[in-house]
Amino acid sequence: MSDYVNITIDGSKIKAIEGSSVLDAALEYGICIPALCHMKDVTPIGACRICIVELVKNGKSKITASCTLEAKEGMVILANSAKIKKLRKNIAEMLVAEAPNSKAIQDIALRCGVTTVRYPFRNKDCVLCGKCVRVCDEIWQSKSLGFVGRGSERHVALPFNVRPDFCKHCNNCIDVCPMTITPCPGPMKKGEEALCGLCESQLYMAEEVPDSCVDCHLGESFCIRAKN
Amino acid sequence: MKTTISKILENKISEDLIEVLQDIQAKYGYLPEEQLLEVSDKLSIPIIEVFRVANFYKSFYLEARGKHLITVCMGTACHVRGAPKFVDEVLGQLGIKPGETTEDGEFSVETVNCVGACALGPVVILDGKYYDHMTPGKLRALIKRTKGK
Amino acid sequence: MAKIKNNKDLIALSEKNIKENSKYSKTVTICAGTGCCASGCLEVLTELEKELKNKKLTNKIKIRATGCHGFCEQGPLLVIEPNNIFYRHVKPKDVPEIVSSTLENNKIIEALLYIDPATSKKITKETNIPFYKKQERILLNQNKLIDPCNVNDYISINGYSAFVKVLNTNNPENIIEEIKKSGLRGRGGGGFPTGRKWESCRKAEGSPKYIICNADEGDPGAYMDRSVLEGNPHAVIEGMLIGALAIGAEHGYIYVRNEYPLAVKNAKIAIGQAEELGLLGKKIFGTNFSFDIKISRGGGAFVCGESTALMASLEGQVGEPRAKDIHTTERGFHELPTNLNNVETWANVPSIINNGAAWFAKKGTKDSKGTKIFALTGQIQNTGLVEVHMGTSLKKIIYDIGGGPLKGKKIKAVQTGGPSGGCISEKLFDLPVDFEALAEAGSMVGSGGMVVMDESTCMVDVAKYFLTFLVDESCGKCVTCRIGLSRMLEIITDITEGKGTMEQLELLFETAETVSLASLCALGKTAPNPVLSTIKYFREEYEAHINKKECPAKVCKSLITYKIDNKVCTECNACLKACPHGVITVTNGNYIINSDTCTKCGICFDTCKFSAIKVN
Repeated sequence: MSDYVNITIDGSKIKAIEGSSVLDAALEYGICIPALCHMKDVTPIGACRICIVELVKNGKSKITASCTLEAKEGMVILANSAKIKKLRKNIAEMLVAEAPNSKAIQDIALRCGVTTVRYPFRNKDCVLCGKCVRVCDEIWQSKSLGFVGRGSERHVALPFNVRPDFCKHCNNCIDVCPMTITPCPGPMKKGEEALCGLCESQLYMAEEVPDSCVDCHLGESFCIRAKN
Repeated sequence: MKTTISKILENKISEDLIEVLQDIQAKYGYLPEEQLLEVSDKLSIPIIEVFRVANFYKSFYLEARGKHLITVCMGTACHVRGAPKFVDEVLGQLGIKPGETTEDGEFSVETVNCVGACALGPVVILDGKYYDHMTPGKLRALIKRTKGK
Repeated sequence: MAKIKNNKDLIALSEKNIKENSKYSKTVTICAGTGCCASGCLEVLTELEKELKNKKLTNKIKIRATGCHGFCEQGPLLVIEPNNIFYRHVKPKDVPEIVSSTLENNKIIEALLYIDPATSKKITKETNIPFYKKQERILLNQNKLIDPCNVNDYISINGYSAFVKVLNTNNPENIIEEIKKSGLRGRGGGGFPTGRKWESCRKAEGSPKYIICNADEGDPGAYMDRSVLEGNPHAVIEGMLIGALAIGAEHGYIYVRNEYPLAVKNAKIAIGQAEELGLLGKKIFGTNFSFDIKISRGGGAFVCGESTALMASLEGQVGEPRAKDIHTTERGFHELPTNLNNVETWANVPSIINNGAAWFAKKGTKDSKGTKIFALTGQIQNTGLVEVHMGTSLKKIIYDIGGGPLKGKKIKAVQTGGPSGGCISEKLFDLPVDFEALAEAGSMVGSGGMVVMDESTCMVDVAKYFLTFLVDESCGKCVTCRIGLSRMLEIITDITEGKGTMEQLELLFETAETVSLASLCALGKTAPNPVLSTIKYFREEYEAHINKKECPAKVCKSLITYKIDNKVCTECNACLKACPHGVITVTNGNYIINSDTCTKCGICFDTCKFSAIKVN
């Protein structure tokens, strides 16, 4: 028997399992909060900033990531206010300009309302979402990968850049990576980057039920979806 | 048999990792892979974590550095007094950029984001000795004096 | 040193030290802080010790090597008491004359006196020097009176009496009330009310509780904490002891940045001496209160000045911040209640307990109480550490104490709060240094760094400098800080290279807002401040770079060219020899700079004594 706490998200009163995050509680209730670095059953890290919400307290609002925010009794959350939507759009624009060669990221860009990309495109093959690191550390208990370096030098690496002998060769790090599936029109080589805009991100479904979860599995790779 | 590093590791716990790495670097001039593996083993810290810490902090080097280390302070006060010129001076004199070592292994240059001697800027540190109110000319002379020492 | 066991012992030790010092007819105080060491004070000290020994004066004249006095540009400096004679730029060769003339015969050496740049007059007494006179050096003046490596000096100025007082009365709630009433707010940048922080940590559940002193001082241009920790470590230790008693903590850490070796050394010595005396350790003075302090050195990361990153680093991990939805006073170091405060905050605590909350609260403004130390540097006459009461105007600090601009220049702006702060235009110099007033103006008091900029500074270049710093120091975890800041740097680099557009300026502004609202930690949230404040107050400089492809301050390399005016040139060859890239050649007496290979470093311009090199 779990204990519940009562919280309010976008005006809807919901019961969240005690100790769960606001993001998990919202998804459970079908309220849409987009997320990229969120992954079931592993520790949230709040890296992508897409799942940000407004936490309203004493008349003031604080912006924080809902995946790392523990639901507490009486919390008032705004998950889809105009302010949040604008910020999400800007963050999604930064992400797609950084790594356009990913179906998941193109999905997120469209879902968050990006229509033009004002930054020059880069073509990175990693957005440091940390799914690979966390799946290796927490699910396989192997710790063969980690975030190495600081700032723009930060990247995912093996110790001394050599696959350690305790790596279990499960390939889960590749399975969970959002970069593995390239955009529908085909992989974007250097110089060919663009905002795809035609993905089947159920945008038309979203228009009928604004701010509700449409089960689009944003940010997940193909393999996970196939398993489900 | 007690090696140098087992003395450094004596009575240390995982919390002391940064201090341990600082002591190892003081001994070897940088952090050799072999020693990092030993630290991981003796302090029971996953090797990826040791590797992460060694790569995160600016004061750690994973490659051997030159005999003489030139540190150029790039703090705000030194910057407005012309610190970037020293990077040019070093490039001209020795052909290396910050983070690099000369081919003959004599000099390494690095930048640091403030040593706290701001009223005396621009500051350059050579082999642990602070030089204040530096100019490119003084730096050129200092490099010349140090060559071959 | 014998252990002291109660207040009586402490008073007795203090009186013994005062009596010992009164044996000497004169005391020579020599500043041995990092700055003066860089100027050569240790050689002066050695010479002085030798000379006094040779002349058999060691019983009559005391030498005291102290921590930083804060007037670093005048170093090596010494103050001779009891006549308060101030000598500056002292060299080892001056020592014999100082001993024979001033120490033995009370004669002043004019050549070593400070000259006031405003009046060109020489000043003999330290207390008459305008730089010092116009300050309120409540905390900093203690540095002059003590040798940081000798706990007896600290005890003889009432040191540890505040701690012993609260240890005897043993009323933690009272201590917290006193700190709350004083209005003390965090001196490290956050400005959070200290008493409230202590109270929430005291109320938190969990044991053991921890006290941390943040001596990471990462703001480039700020060295207040270095000076206090190097020169007066016992004030910090005493503050931490009082805090530990109030909160119910058992263990303390002082986290010092790696680049401050002297502060680490002096703090370690101080802790050792406090332990010897029985002021630190188990069951202090036979009570149930135990407290120990460990020094931890940083590894070189600005982000470790952020409290959650600092605690991660203390745990032996990388310094990555975490979201502060749950405060560190409830779950901090090792997930236990932790109270973190800055060096200067801790150092203020003993005098508040000794003099009372009202004494502290009567200085300052309504919400910003007490005094604050600032590191005044940059393009100004007098650079150094300045302690003034909160509410003092920027104008007074920069012109009265700082002495105003360098010859022939006009001051344009002051940068406060380091990379998290902003640039304030000189039109606003009537603003008081007050937490809320500076935040409203788009900057912040921050840790106390104050860099003065004149017309030869390009404000767009300043914004680029800070962005470059922050991109390097960002931990890289969250998208907005890592990618957002790098995009901002990309745009501002285009602007400084004459490739910027007005659309890019608007995008820069919008990106800055996104980063400041959506980032995970305080580094990311405040990182856009230098850009936002320079756009606010110096928009015309941005527009000149974009629309006219000009850098008004003649700094941005892509927008300037160096040319030699051969009509003025005297053919001295100085520029040729000085150029590190060999781009100056001479043909038929005509000196030419190769504009294709010239890196615009400006070294030739600085070298030429005949103004034959022009910038346009």
